[in-house]
Amino acid sequence: MWRIALKGILGRKARLVLTSLAVILGTSFLSGTAVFSATLNRTFDNLFSDVFRNVDSYVRSTQVIEADFGAEERQRIPVELIDLVKQVPGVADVQADIQAFARIIGKDGKPLGSEGAGPPTFGGVGQEFKGALWTISEGRFALGPTEVVLDEASAKAGKFVLNDKVKVVAQAGSREFTLVGIASYGDVRSPGGATFALFDLNTAQEFLAKPGFIDDILVSGDGSLSDKELATAINAAIPSSYKTETLTGAQITKETQDQIGTALSFFSILLSTFSYIALGVGSFVIYNVFSISAAQRQRENALLRAIGASKKQVTRAMLIESVVVGLFGSVIGLFAGIGLSKALSALLKAAGIDLPTGGLVVPSSAVVNTIVVGLIVTVSSAWLPARRAGKVPPLTAMRETAIEVVALTRRRTLFGLLLIALGAATIIAVTSGASNKWLGLGILFVFSGTITLGPVIARPVALMLGKPAEKLRGVTGTMARQNSARNPKRTSRTASPVLIGVALVTAVAALAASIRTQIDGVFTEQFKGDYAISTDARGFGGLSPSLADDINMLPEVERATGIGLLTVKIEEKGQYLTTINPATVEGVFDLGLVSGTYADLTPETIFVSQQYAENNDSKLGDTIAVTLADAQVKTLRIAGIYEFDDIAGKYTVSRDLTKDSTVINFDLGVYIKLKSGVSDQSARTILQAAVDKYGQGTLLSKREYIDKQSGQVNQLLGLIYGLLFLSVIIAVVGIIITLLLSVFERQREIGLLRAVGMTKSQVRTTVRWESVITSLLGAVVGIVLGVGLGWVIVYALRDQGLSSFSVPVGTTVSILIMAFFIGVLAAVYPAWRATRVNLLTAITTS
Amino acid sequence: MNNPSAATATNVSKIYGHGDSEVRALDNVSVQFETGKFTAIMGPSGSGKSTLMHCMAGLDEMTNGSVTIADIDIASLKDKELTRLRRDKIGFVFQSFNLVPTLTADENIRLPLLLGNNKGNEEWIQKVINTVHLQDRLTHRPSELSGGQQQRVAVARALASEPAIIFADEPTGNLDSTTGNEILSFMRKAVDELGQTIVMVTHDPVSASYADRIVFLKDGKIAGELLQPTPELVLDYMKNLGH
Ligand SMILES: Nc1ncnc2c1ncn2[C@@H]1O[C@H](COP(=O)(O)OP(=O)(O)OP(=O)(O)O)[C@@H](O)[C@H]1O
Ligand SMILES: [Mg+2]
Repeated sequence: MWRIALKGILGRKARLVLTSLAVILGTSFLSGTAVFSATLNRTFDNLFSDVFRNVDSYVRSTQVIEADFGAEERQRIPVELIDLVKQVPGVADVQADIQAFARIIGKDGKPLGSEGAGPPTFGGVGQEFKGALWTISEGRFALGPTEVVLDEASAKAGKFVLNDKVKVVAQAGSREFTLVGIASYGDVRSPGGATFALFDLNTAQEFLAKPGFIDDILVSGDGSLSDKELATAINAAIPSSYKTETLTGAQITKETQDQIGTALSFFSILLSTFSYIALGVGSFVIYNVFSISAAQRQRENALLRAIGASKKQVTRAMLIESVVVGLFGSVIGLFAGIGLSKALSALLKAAGIDLPTGGLVVPSSAVVNTIVVGLIVTVSSAWLPARRAGKVPPLTAMRETAIEVVALTRRRTLFGLLLIALGAATIIAVTSGASNKWLGLGILFVFSGTITLGPVIARPVALMLGKPAEKLRGVTGTMARQNSARNPKRTSRTASPVLIGVALVTAVAALAASIRTQIDGVFTEQFKGDYAISTDARGFGGLSPSLADDINMLPEVERATGIGLLTVKIEEKGQYLTTINPATVEGVFDLGLVSGTYADLTPETIFVSQQYAENNDSKLGDTIAVTLADAQVKTLRIAGIYEFDDIAGKYTVSRDLTKDSTVINFDLGVYIKLKSGVSDQSARTILQAAVDKYGQGTLLSKREYIDKQSGQVNQLLGLIYGLLFLSVIIAVVGIIITLLLSVFERQREIGLLRAVGMTKSQVRTTVRWESVITSLLGAVVGIVLGVGLGWVIVYALRDQGLSSFSVPVGTTVSILIMAFFIGVLAAVYPAWRATRVNLLTAITTS
Repeated sequence: MNNPSAATATNVSKIYGHGDSEVRALDNVSVQFETGKFTAIMGPSGSGKSTLMHCMAGLDEMTNGSVTIADIDIASLKDKELTRLRRDKIGFVFQSFNLVPTLTADENIRLPLLLGNNKGNEEWIQKVINTVHLQDRLTHRPSELSGGQQQRVAVARALASEPAIIFADEPTGNLDSTTGNEILSFMRKAVDELGQTIVMVTHDPVSASYADRIVFLKDGKIAGELLQPTPELVLDYMKNLGH
């Protein structure tokens, strides 16, 4: 049987190529994402072991608040510790380290790096240090309050040369410095595409952070002590009242690598999830190809049976073929994936994320996984067609033509309907009180049911969708329409990958549209002003609180108020508090107070949301103990309860709460209401001038501001669309393969049509429309499923505050248009092949 | 119909392969098919009958010589023009697989017209349909028709566009003699009553006797002609030719 199987494979190279193509695509995404993740991990590991190579000890505060998503806020330490550490025997050199937000303004007045998105922009300390992170490649380190050093990539991007004036925006506002040096970081010009502005220690404290404080101390030993001994010695030298800890170089390297590893693992999981989705979609294509080729070989198989091959042998021959195809495809897919991950790196580089080059890492697990999974998917996709091939009655060999048997059993219809009903029942059960975790099962049921029903609905829907083609294109349209409906099983299998891709895209779009509507509604409800200033500092500071105060004083302004965020610990858990200015908040930013007045919010009190009060049985007068980042504990009395918690969250405090602590307070947004009668034009000019004075934040009208908030959803959306694009590629390839096989199968028909006068362009039209109808079939059913799925997801998230569901009309329309063009695109090659059908062989072979 | 010849082949040669494996399927053949006449082509297997038809109908390229259909020199035509010529001026009936399985009998009959976005002469089409007795089968698909009915549809299609000439390659080869005769008398009728021009390849002397004239081929050359044939005459003639 091996001989027959191998002959079968080699005899039809085209079929081998087509079948393998589906396997190759599916597995290449699998190996590509695995290799990319591993390479990225190794790259960062190397980067940080380089960075800390000459750091023997690392001193930092023990006071840390861990918030959601692995973010942490560590308290700063007093600068005088440097002198203490310097005097510890065994210490050769120290460097104070500050990591803070700083944005370099280009010569054109625009900040370097992308605003709001992209790699962060840092400010720090640059100085001569034995365990140096930064090495000067041109000029020298900064020495005074007016000097700055930039990383090589930023200097190049901003076309700065030594002695140029450089404007930098940071915590303390915007200032102009003289460029005295250009530095590089290890062997990269700028790690990960981030920008760096480096100052001397005093300037860095005052301009970037808080005078008298630094983030940590890097220590280089003189070699007389081991790293461990050195760390112990330093720890002993620092009084425990400072609440610090000393780590060895190896420890801090490991910790940083682990942190990055955790952050990257989220990314890796996302990548591999979508590559598995793509592979799942690909398995439909593989299944389809095997089914079609089994059908086309019906006579051949029947002949084998007639001359004495057993059912088992025929089945086994096909399975052997699938093993060969699976292996062949997976191995090529593995290498294609390695190429793909290179392309991904190149793409990142083009997007400005310059990762240190370290060579590709191909983990053996990725190799094994790709080949094993590829093989399993291929062989299991071939299983049913192979079984069916074995069941071919020997008599078929004598029959005229072998076309795939299309028996749509009542059993299929019933089973499909049953699955959908089960799914619907499960979902209804959830909406009437059952646990959310059943939703997944319900969705799975509905999807499987729809796919089972696929062949049943394919014919009527394809005929319906083909109506316009018939109207538009006459008899060629009629033929396209009939062709797409003539084998409903095949059509539905071809459309299924499109269906799955479209359903996922639609569901994600529906979710995003709902979130956007929600955000829009929330801001419209709470933001009563005319203008807003937003920050892009993202986790590294924000707007100076005095900006809101200054604007509030402007004669054209009725009122301006700043809203900020504070990370604290409540009952040993990291929590965010919203900070407001009780004196100016009223009438600009509405919390929807149900009890208390804004005047009740003092440094001794706190407001909580109504939801929180209900959940915790709290009432006015209860107290909450809040630990600030500098370990101060404040006991705050509940003095007000508010309704709108979408922005403010559970807790709101006065911005004066941190007045007597080392914690710095920023605003994340300033909301402005103009006096009546002030024109938009003059308001913008005046407000912009105030913003420019600080060099921080972006001035936006109310509408722009709300759009920007809801627009952030688009970034996530972009990523998910990008990943789903993999599935779309496979779907397109699936259509191409099916069309090619159909064209091959219909050679005689095409030859006949050409003989009686069908022009080549009419042949192409027929194939093209068939492709469009198939693609639209998948898209239409996919949209219906996707909207349903989106609704279910939004419903499941109702506890997260998502209360409105929106149908993504725009996306739906673009999907339909795209599906149309995908159909056109997929048909290009098959249509061309169809015109190459040899007219004579078609009509002379009997 | 001012030209008495619907199709003319002049010194047509067709050579397959090169060198040692060269096959001369047609060797300098010149022949004319008169308008309004039913001509049969006969000859032993491999004598070049199908090749001649394919070359004259623009389905295959000839190696040498020229062919005119309805006064058009087909050698000078590009693929698109040639396709249009086949669509508008030539009708075809093949031995089997004549119909498009996804189209109804009616659509199959009108296929060349539909492809040309041409309404055609409805009166004529109805006349053709009535003559082949297909009135109550028009909405059926080929798979729902018998072999004889399918061939009748094919003949009706060949006639529907009122072509200058119809080529039929063993149109009754797959049918039993009763059904075959039915088709042949219909073709005869199409020539006599509808004024059509038909060229038919056949092996069967009885079938050939329906024609006005028989052209004999042997080894790619014209071997002779017979006018007003009867089955007996044909058999005699073939004996003389072959042995
Ligand atoms: N594509 C081809 N390549 C090579 N030789 C061919 C090809 N087609 C036909 N021939 C040869 O040309 C000659 C004429 O073939 P043709 O099909 O015209 O014969 P025919 O008279 O129609 O025979 P039959 O009665 O069997 O149909 C034969 O010798 C045949 O082998
Ligand atoms: Mg022949």
